[in-house]
Amino acid sequence: MNPTLGIAIKDVKTFFRERGTLFWTIAFPLAMMLLFTAIFGREVPFTANIGVVDYDKTETTNSIIQALNNTEIFGVKTIDDEQQAIESLEAGDVSAVLTFPEGFHANITTGRATNISLDIDETSPNTAQIVRSGLQAFFSEVNKDVRSTWVEFAKGVVTVLLNYTQPDVPKELILESMDDIVEPISITEEEPLTREAIGYKEYILAGVLSFPLLFSSMAGAAEIIVSERLTGTLKRIRASPTSPLSMLWGKTLAVLTQTAISIALLASLGYLLLNPRVNWNIPLLAPIMLLGSINGIAIGLLISSIARSPREASGAATAIAIILHFFIGMYFPLEILPDYL
Amino acid sequence: MKTLPCEKTLNFIRSNSWITFLIEVNLLVIQVENLVKFYGETQALRGVSLEVKKGEIFGLLGPNGAGKSTLIEIICGLRTFDEGDVSILDVDVAKSSRKAKSLIGFCPQETLIYDLLNVRENLLFAASLQSLSSKNFKERISVLSEFLGLKEIMKKKVKELSGGMRRRVSLAASTIHDPPIIILDEPTVGFDPTARREFWGFINKLHKEGKTILLSTHYMEEADELCDRVAIVDRGKVVALDKPDNLKKTLGGTSAILVRVKSTQMKDATKLLARFSPVLTDEELKISVKDPWKTLPDITASLSSQKILVEKVEVVEPTLEDVFVNLTGRRLTEGEEE
Repeated sequence: MNPTLGIAIKDVKTFFRERGTLFWTIAFPLAMMLLFTAIFGREVPFTANIGVVDYDKTETTNSIIQALNNTEIFGVKTIDDEQQAIESLEAGDVSAVLTFPEGFHANITTGRATNISLDIDETSPNTAQIVRSGLQAFFSEVNKDVRSTWVEFAKGVVTVLLNYTQPDVPKELILESMDDIVEPISITEEEPLTREAIGYKEYILAGVLSFPLLFSSMAGAAEIIVSERLTGTLKRIRASPTSPLSMLWGKTLAVLTQTAISIALLASLGYLLLNPRVNWNIPLLAPIMLLGSINGIAIGLLISSIARSPREASGAATAIAIILHFFIGMYFPLEILPDYL
Repeated sequence: MKTLPCEKTLNFIRSNSWITFLIEVNLLVIQVENLVKFYGETQALRGVSLEVKKGEIFGLLGPNGAGKSTLIEIICGLRTFDEGDVSILDVDVAKSSRKAKSLIGFCPQETLIYDLLNVRENLLFAASLQSLSSKNFKERISVLSEFLGLKEIMKKKVKELSGGMRRRVSLAASTIHDPPIIILDEPTVGFDPTARREFWGFINKLHKEGKTILLSTHYMEEADELCDRVAIVDRGKVVALDKPDNLKKTLGGTSAILVRVKSTQMKDATKLLARFSPVLTDEELKISVKDPWKTLPDITASLSSQKILVEKVEVVEPTLEDVFVNLTGRRLTEGEEE
């Protein structure tokens, strides 16, 4: 057997036969995922009051406000002017204020893009985040409707013109390219969000998968070499004709396999226990996992060259992994962190 | 000589024609010349030179901290050295370390096997390090399990095994590729006398198969019992090198005959044996002689002629411990941990 493969098989077997390692790699993140979901993931009915200042006062703005009120997420409170709106916001009567400018209806019906301004009370980051996401999702739907009316009208005009001026030119590509060229309504405070709002369990499942990705690969690579050096088993490998490069490849292959198996187990268990709404993108997930693991292994190997004991290696890997976990938004959405982070 | 089962499976080594060629043409399998090794300011080896001949058991005897393990690790290519030359079957260890390593089966002091793997998996791992083919592995595992009595425990996890069994598995892992040279670092350290004798049996079996064995030990009985030649190492130097018997004869000092007679006859006996200059110690007469087995009949004849009842006669010959004491002024058990 090839030494690289031999080292990898030996390492994977010893990894999965060590109960402590299995606990920290699979059982602990799983327990953490369930605990966090139990604490933060309860699906309680959420409502927020939104103040609306309507300077346009037309049928279009009325129907949008009516639709917003019907979402069951937002309670709409009509406010006469911006000054009053700011006061309501400061008093905590409303969580956000939407302002429809004068000429909103005219712009929409004549095919011109228009802005709505949004003020959000940031004192409660979680509520602010939900309100923001909810409004983005709502206006994303409104935009779709308006855009389709515009585009259908424009396509009709272009077809007539092309038939008259350039009858031989194929029109399909030109018409297709018109689909996404306009954004009728934009909200000035934020860039429009197009993703679906996700629940906490979906969020934590994806986050917890980064646990083996970062921790197993980093701590695995660091500990595996340090402990072999300490127990002396590295001596047997070094006393054989196996080249250092073969050993390095063997260790890397082992850690990659361990990480892949851990992620697959954790994802399957999380899926079965939490039943999240997920949309796996395997072709993207696989290279991300591979690159993430290689990153972790590289840091782990660096640690192994410095650490004098497995405990020291594990401690260093844990400290680095916790910091990285925090900044990749494993525990909480990055949006709620202060701007400077 | 009786053909051992291992002979049938030496084809792995024999299939490597360059190894066979090297073994055939080299009577000296390990050559060490003026080896010097420093650990920072401390000089661990001070110009060590020795040669290990084909098919012999060569012992490195010395107290802990003498430099035996350093010397062995350099020969195995595990440590670099500052001056000198080391070659295995004419392969320069410094220049062609991997080639030299393939000729050696190194069994370190610690049982370097994995607790969480079973015996077979440990041996499979050791075989993979030597790039052994699956066919050769199967052949070797069948030979070694028979040879070292591992058949019953092949599926057992190593952590469930006794210390002696673990050491056997470690020896099997070290010799899985059937190397021509086997290097054992303190092979029986921590063993009880029975386990030690049992392990000596395995070493002797390997020797009978034609393997060249280099072992380090600080047990003088081990060196005396097993080794064809012994190098006594002290403070990084070889202070004596010869067959154990020659060392004892030339450097061990005189032998002693201890005679105990009835206490009432002690005075008569002392007078009678006056020509042998006896010394009275612990109600025994101690007679120092060069050749005890030639002198002993004279002594017993003299005593019986005067009807002196002999209660005990004991011949105490010099040991390698005496050789070491005579050479260094210290005992083998003294010294620091290596």
